[in-house]
Amino acid sequence: MSEAVAVPATPVALPGRLLRLLPGVALLFALGYAGKVTEALLRDYGKSHHVALPQIEYVLWAIVFGLVVANTVGVAQIFKPGVATYDFWLKAGIVLLGSRFLLGDVLQLGRVSLLLVAIELAVAIAIMTVLGRWFRLKPKLISLLAVGSSICGVSAIIAAKGAIEADDDDATFAIAAILALGAFGLFAYPAIGHLLHLSDKAFGLWAGLAVDNTAEAAAAGAIYSDAAGKVAVLTKSTRNAMIGFVVLGYAVYWAARGQAQTVTSKAAFVWQKFPKFVLGFLLVSLLATLHWFSPPQVTSLANLSRWAFLLTFAGVGLKTDFREIKRQGLRPFVVGALAELTITVVTLGLVFGAAAVFQI
Amino acid sequence: MRGVKRISLDWWAVIAALSAVALIKAGLLPAIGW
Repeated sequence: MSEAVAVPATPVALPGRLLRLLPGVALLFALGYAGKVTEALLRDYGKSHHVALPQIEYVLWAIVFGLVVANTVGVAQIFKPGVATYDFWLKAGIVLLGSRFLLGDVLQLGRVSLLLVAIELAVAIAIMTVLGRWFRLKPKLISLLAVGSSICGVSAIIAAKGAIEADDDDATFAIAAILALGAFGLFAYPAIGHLLHLSDKAFGLWAGLAVDNTAEAAAAGAIYSDAAGKVAVLTKSTRNAMIGFVVLGYAVYWAARGQAQTVTSKAAFVWQKFPKFVLGFLLVSLLATLHWFSPPQVTSLANLSRWAFLLTFAGVGLKTDFREIKRQGLRPFVVGALAELTITVVTLGLVFGAAAVFQI
Repeated sequence: MRGVKRISLDWWAVIAALSAVALIKAGLLPAIGW
């Protein structure tokens, strides 16, 4: 969650670095905006021709357009630095989304999320560990897959890789598996949610608990509905906040076996891994609760958040290269898929339980 | 910029978002539509 901004080996002045981002950011905007226009065109066509077309959100179009580009012509080198900013737009968008949450709602939903996240973490880590051993994966690869599937996908794997001193190959395997499963989840979860007639809140909770990457969780929620997208982001952020503790647990485990460096300050370690954008989200939510913003200002902040997410969703498609995933081999993917399937069912059970107990 | 501590992506996102919040609050950014 806290990887540093990429800095080239040879120092480049800040204006030069920002200039290098422009082509990729323009591509993100073009694909995202094309998604928004496509949604509007289909809606208008359906209305004017009295045809009942399925309501497909701009989110899905932006992702599909990105997937098509990435898996056909590919992303040219000139676009890559800018496309990599999709994670920046995601986090900025989440901070701005705080304007649409009153702190009371955050605390109420956060309490339910926290309980479910704690259960999800334990179940996900246990399942991934058992399956990884069963399939005889390398122990550190199992740790990376467990961290990736239990918390927040790629960022968590990168954080854990450094802490437990895992091989580059293991991290690449784990990231490929998590990305492939995330891409599948994007399309599968909303479809299952509609089949089961889940409420917006219940689906948002489920997506936030079960989808591994924050961008994919936000996208899956937003594909379902705007309200579900908000809940998915909040639940996923609660899950992300646990990253420091879980990675610390693995770092201590591997250090005790003499296969990683000893963690000297545990508090500093947890703070270093803590996703800081969660603090920004809470601050903006607090300001909204104190009525610091006028209603038109809240609308502007919410819309700015949607524009930031628009760039994120285009980036989700662009970064998913199925050829690269195929090159990484099948075994880690099979382990990940089996574990994710189990986590999907368990988290769905948790959401049904929470819906009955907390009336969500 | 040797010796200057690199700021993480998370902090950049927070700084950018809070700057936008301040600009909107101060009325320096026009109403943002969708």
